Amino acid sequence: MHYRFFPLLSILAVVGLLAGSYGMVDRLWNGLNPVAFGSYVPWGLWVAFYLFFLGLSAGAFLVTILTYLLEIKPFEGIGPLSAFMVLVCLFCEMLFILLDLGTMHRAFYQFFLTPSFSSLLTWMFVLFNLMGIIYTLKTYFLVRGAIIRKAQGVPGPLAALYRLLSLGRREYDAAMQAADDRRVHRLAWISLPVGLLFYATNGAFFAILINRPIWNSALTPLLFVVAALLSGGALVAFLTYVYVDNASGLRDTLMRYLGRSILFLLSLFLVLEAMQFFVGYQTGRTDIVTSLNHITVGKGWWIFWIVHLGVGSLIPLLLLVFGGANPRSSAWACFLIFVTFVAVRYNFIIPDLAVYKLEGLEYVFRHPRLSTDYVPNLNEWLVSIWIISAGLLAFLLGTRYLPIVNAHPRGVDHAA
Amino acid sequence: MSRFLAVEDQLARMQRDLKRALAADPKTVRWGMVIDLAKCIGCHACTVACVAENKLPPGVVYRPVLEEEAGTYPAVRRRFVPRPCLHCQNPPCTKVCPVTATYKDASGVVVVNYTRCIGCRYCLVACPYSARTSDFGDWYTRGTPEGQGVLQGQRTAAEGYEAAPAAEYGKKWPPRGKGSPIGNARKCHFCLHRVAVGMLPACVTTCIGRATIFGDRNDAESLVFEMIGSARAFQLKAELGTQPAVYYLA
Repeated sequence: MHYRFFPLLSILAVVGLLAGSYGMVDRLWNGLNPVAFGSYVPWGLWVAFYLFFLGLSAGAFLVTILTYLLEIKPFEGIGPLSAFMVLVCLFCEMLFILLDLGTMHRAFYQFFLTPSFSSLLTWMFVLFNLMGIIYTLKTYFLVRGAIIRKAQGVPGPLAALYRLLSLGRREYDAAMQAADDRRVHRLAWISLPVGLLFYATNGAFFAILINRPIWNSALTPLLFVVAALLSGGALVAFLTYVYVDNASGLRDTLMRYLGRSILFLLSLFLVLEAMQFFVGYQTGRTDIVTSLNHITVGKGWWIFWIVHLGVGSLIPLLLLVFGGANPRSSAWACFLIFVTFVAVRYNFIIPDLAVYKLEGLEYVFRHPRLSTDYVPNLNEWLVSIWIISAGLLAFLLGTRYLPIVNAHPRGVDHAA
Repeated sequence: MSRFLAVEDQLARMQRDLKRALAADPKTVRWGMVIDLAKCIGCHACTVACVAENKLPPGVVYRPVLEEEAGTYPAVRRRFVPRPCLHCQNPPCTKVCPVTATYKDASGVVVVNYTRCIGCRYCLVACPYSARTSDFGDWYTRGTPEGQGVLQGQRTAAEGYEAAPAAEYGKKWPPRGKGSPIGNARKCHFCLHRVAVGMLPACVTTCIGRATIFGDRNDAESLVFEMIGSARAFQLKAELGTQPAVYYLA
């Protein structure tokens, strides 16, 4: 495992938290008043980031299914890391959505008092919480043995943390290991339908809206699942390259598997995306064409052509196709895919909202909240930086001080 | 018939219709509205009345008047389309609300419970008519220079006006800045607080062309019932199947 980046990334995360705290205080003190979105573009950068982290968690979810349900051996080395990554991504998703709510405090009780099960948002809330519970338990059972062992052996302040997480246990034998393995397997079984429903519901959340012609398609949930697996899979592949030790050639084996999977998913995603554009333009409907034009020739054309198609698709394709089995090329390709994927999410959310749904609406009121001209402002960026930094810090601390990387006895050694 | 014969003001008839509806069994009443586009002159009086009645902050509007232009010069035509909430009988907005904060009440009016709304804005995205706006907590008076008043500061007076809550849904709301409806979805509610005490909605009484008609859609004697039956009547985006309770006369 490469810990040489740990100090640098930790400093980056702390700086991000400090810089973003101005935006966070502003948001918490003044509600949604400081944001740039309004009533015609009611969702902005934060929802795009929510979807970005949703995608990242989906890739990690897939790896945990491959590891603990289908028991594909090469993935065992990154199983606990993937489970922990699902948790960190869920944490970031939760923060982005909570801060996007106009009356955030009510989310903590109103879902329990007056839920509406006709709303997919209610189901997303239920499934999100189930995912959180399942992955908290799963991560815990995966690392429990290593934590108990560490509690006995590590001196200093960390020992107290390990003892706390051991919940009073001092010994961990083979029988307990087998019991925990069974628990993880059962949780993996439960997580399969819950996870699939969770990711598909997020797609259906947009697809059911009859007045949003780009979203209102049976293709949307499918596109969502493929997008999620692509971006999340790319992140897992990149982390595999960074975190997994290659002493026994395990890393290169994993990278070969993952590289091929990412190439397939990227190709599939681009085909689906091309179909969406082709069908949309062929309809000739003003609202659809206007939305698509927002993406291709609008103010943010560079987000689509340069960031998404150029840096996030073409270069990775070339690296994956011509880089052969070189793990470094695959890692770079995956890094570019997952980093630029927020552009895909942004272009999914904004263009359909950025079209006036009634003729003449644009001339009625001149007010920033009643305009489709949306560009994220400083507050939205600062809050985003704060949340991403918090997620990064949680991930760094978790992987550094908890036995997340290769905690399983059959995995590779936990390198220092 | 002589065109000089006295004609009863529509408002008088609507007032009678309203009185009858309020006396009827509440279970049978279904409020509805008809907007005669041929009579609308685009004065925006209804928009202003609505803003005043409901004390709407900047960026929140319940009843804008859309302006549509057709043709090319010199053959140009212009028409005005007031757009309140259409109070769909099959509303896409209520289905998506995760906490049942917005729903269709017994009289068919789509309402928002400000004390339940979590401000997710899913209903704003789901509404095909952009009839909902979110209250982001903006103020008219914030950032404006203060002038000297005779008895009290101009800003103090203006802020006092802004801070005093409206009587929406017939409830007593906290002063502006102290919670809901800031952060909530807001929309036209047919001025239910006025209707409950026998007054027509603010947009109806202020319409100088008498283009807006309001009443019980189930009352066969009402003007609104009569107008809905007109051959000129149509609904906005009827193809979506939302079944608006607001009709337009072409």
